[in-house]
Amino acid sequence: MKATPAGIGSRGATAVAVAGVIGCLSAAVGLQIARDRIHAGETRETERILYVRSGEAAKRLALDFDALWADVYWIRAIQHYGGERLASARDRKYELLFPLVDLTTTLDPYFTIAYRFGAIFLSEAAPGGPGRPDQAIALLRKGYAAQPGKWQYLHDIGFVYYWHYRDFKTAAMWFERAADLPDSPTWLRPLAASVLGAGNDRASARFLWNQILQSEEEWLKRTAERSLRQLDALDAIDQLQAIARRFPPPPGQPYSWESLVRRGILRGIPADPAGTPFDIDAATGAVSLSASSPLHPLPHRQTAPAS
Amino acid sequence: MRAISRIAVSVFRESVRDRVPYNLVLFAVLLIASSFLLGQLTAGQDVKIIKDLGLAATAVFGLFIAIFIGIGLVSKEVERRSIYALLAKPISRPELVLGKYAGLVLTLAVNVAVMTIALYVVLAYMTWTTPPALQTAWDAPGVDPALLKAVFLIFVELMLITGLALFFSTFSTPMLSAALTFGLYIVGHFNADLRNFEQVVESRSAAWLARGLYHILPDLSAFDVKTQVVHGLAVPGGYLALTTGYGLLYIAALLIAATFIFSRRDFK
Amino acid sequence: MPPAIQIEELTKDYAIGFWRKRPYRALDRLSLAIEAGEVFGFLGPNGAGKTTTLKLLMQLIFPTSGRAEILGHPVGHVATRRQIGYLPENPYFYDYLTAEELLDYFAQLFGYAAADRRTRVSRLLDKVGIGAERRLQLRKFSKGMVQRVGIAQALINDPAVIFLDEPMSGLDPLGRRDVRRLILELRDQGRTVFFSSHILADAEALCSRVGVVAGGRLAAAGRLSDMLAFEIRGWELVIANASPESLARLAPIARKTTDISHGRYSVELSLDHPPEQVLADLSAMGASVVSLNPIRDTLEDFFVRRVAEAGSARSVEEAAHARD
Repeated sequence: MKATPAGIGSRGATAVAVAGVIGCLSAAVGLQIARDRIHAGETRETERILYVRSGEAAKRLALDFDALWADVYWIRAIQHYGGERLASARDRKYELLFPLVDLTTTLDPYFTIAYRFGAIFLSEAAPGGPGRPDQAIALLRKGYAAQPGKWQYLHDIGFVYYWHYRDFKTAAMWFERAADLPDSPTWLRPLAASVLGAGNDRASARFLWNQILQSEEEWLKRTAERSLRQLDALDAIDQLQAIARRFPPPPGQPYSWESLVRRGILRGIPADPAGTPFDIDAATGAVSLSASSPLHPLPHRQTAPAS
Repeated sequence: MRAISRIAVSVFRESVRDRVPYNLVLFAVLLIASSFLLGQLTAGQDVKIIKDLGLAATAVFGLFIAIFIGIGLVSKEVERRSIYALLAKPISRPELVLGKYAGLVLTLAVNVAVMTIALYVVLAYMTWTTPPALQTAWDAPGVDPALLKAVFLIFVELMLITGLALFFSTFSTPMLSAALTFGLYIVGHFNADLRNFEQVVESRSAAWLARGLYHILPDLSAFDVKTQVVHGLAVPGGYLALTTGYGLLYIAALLIAATFIFSRRDFK
Repeated sequence: MPPAIQIEELTKDYAIGFWRKRPYRALDRLSLAIEAGEVFGFLGPNGAGKTTTLKLLMQLIFPTSGRAEILGHPVGHVATRRQIGYLPENPYFYDYLTAEELLDYFAQLFGYAAADRRTRVSRLLDKVGIGAERRLQLRKFSKGMVQRVGIAQALINDPAVIFLDEPMSGLDPLGRRDVRRLILELRDQGRTVFFSSHILADAEALCSRVGVVAGGRLAAAGRLSDMLAFEIRGWELVIANASPESLARLAPIARKTTDISHGRYSVELSLDHPPEQVLADLSAMGASVVSLNPIRDTLEDFFVRRVAEAGSARSVEEAAHARD
């Protein structure tokens, strides 16, 4: 029963109005996209100037919306991390990563994923990451202080000591402490023992990463997969190294994959688990991961004993 | 055309009689008082704080004016039924809507201009009373023309918010219009975070939804160049042009919609 | 000469109720033609559809069906509004303006030059009886004064057609007399006046034609004298020198007998008994006839009867609809 103005050709006018609105909005969005593309750099600059650095100030400003603000800061932390990764290696500073994650966790102390993933981000070695395992540990301790029952935080601290500091005694101690907590999984104590015992081996490293692979969080899973592939790459390098040493090229010729393939020793150019071919030094025959590989840099560079 | 300007002037006159200028006095007092207080604090930071405070206050006061007058622009007239006599005069409904909008934009322009002048006066005083040696520590000069870029974008943003308030007021009550406009203001300032949603969520559809919302909702965070200007970072002319163009087109869409709805309404 | 106002089958439905069950018909196929120079009274009880009609004519609301024209142009034609004046019911204007400023604002919308505006404004305020208060803000005005300002703003453009919705509301008897005089003046100037009212006395005094609406329908329309002329209720017979016998003779057929004085009586006869026979009988008995006058319906009687008819017709129809 809706009445319409008579005699204005109202349906025509409606069409014109709708077309006008859609047209203007589309043009506006077009300008928005253009601006985002052209002036992306400026926004990165501004983000370095984080307005609120102190967690306590943020908590006060957030009024009753702490958890929501925590989410916002978390999104910005990830965006900051991603943005820095995309920048060229020279420009990567990651200087806001810790403040952002710190703000996130101050606003929402139960934000588990922020602690764990933040720690992984922070401890990742330069140039790919900020290379700040100390900040990672500080973050995890904060998480543990907020939730003393969560064994995951202690486990993660141990992991940082193991993987990044190569301090096996301290790592084992943290795994033991994690094992002491009520809900902790049964594999923590044997892990502590084996880390203490054989520390430098890849088997315990593999074990640790496989545990993390079980986690439900997508981020942790992906990091674990990558680290496992790095370990595979290390194994592959050892094997290839042995082969290269056993079959040196004819005198006067450089070490190369092609010569090994020609001589029938290898079936094809060997590549790492990410698909990038390994490097082989022409003079010494030392096999290493290519710098252009996504798995670069490898954690523990181990050279097999020369045969 | 003449009708639009007459109505615009009438809206401006109403805002003046409505005691809106008092908030300007409040603003000026706030600025002056804080500049004297901050003079006692650590040197070098007070200029930045004055600029931050001045720009933020301009944005906030402007926001209040835009929303509280904007929602009443149409709905108050309809509720009080003063619109009956008005529409019997030789003006069309679109002229009425556009006239109201122009009037509020005029009000905002005057308010923003006065606040900007007050800010510059205070900054000039600070610059005058601070020894040049200390001034080298400042990120940007005290009386910095670049501040006008921030003010300009604040003004365009306020025009957009006014457009939103007007749009809602053509068909809903003042209370609801205020809530919706204010809600969109808040969401619009978090718009940049929506763009990065795809990095955080797992489902493609949620990421697409976030992207879509980023484009459809008014992107108000882009108008905020206060931080850059205060720290002396460059704001390229291209950025200003594209953002302003975005704003004007969005406003055009809102005005078309508002005019359309208003032209078809029954006034009970 | 085309009619000044032409209304054809104008209908307005509102959708009421939360679930939009039934449309409420506020105006049902109204058709009227008002000639130029007429004073037309649009009468009806509250809620009959008078204000709805006026709002449709001013295009404040849109019709469900039907059409209307003013001065040959469809309703809503913006340029025609230069020749129209409108006073809404219970008007509210911008209370922060003074009476002068309000009229000046409206005059500006017509595009008059400043000097022209000044003369118009002061002339009209004089005419509606607003003196020095014209410089006070409207929020300080009483209802009656606002009503006067309302009339002034309706006339600011010397309109050819003037629409007044309850023009007497809020006015004291003096004010009402002023407005009546004003309306007659407008008529004498050849303007068309269309006003709605529920005060019948005003219509009786002012209108050449009236229309009666009730329940959204036009119950009757036409010249006042025509409508009332046919409605003779009875006869009033004044006799003198009546003897008790003649009175006794009249008793059976008289509806009412009133003793005036000194042998004069006023007798009310019903329509069943033609007066001619009675007169003959009376003169035979020696009584003399002073006067014989038809008793007409007042507008009120007519009004009440028509409204009742319309009401019952509508409820019959609604009952029929409900059965479907």
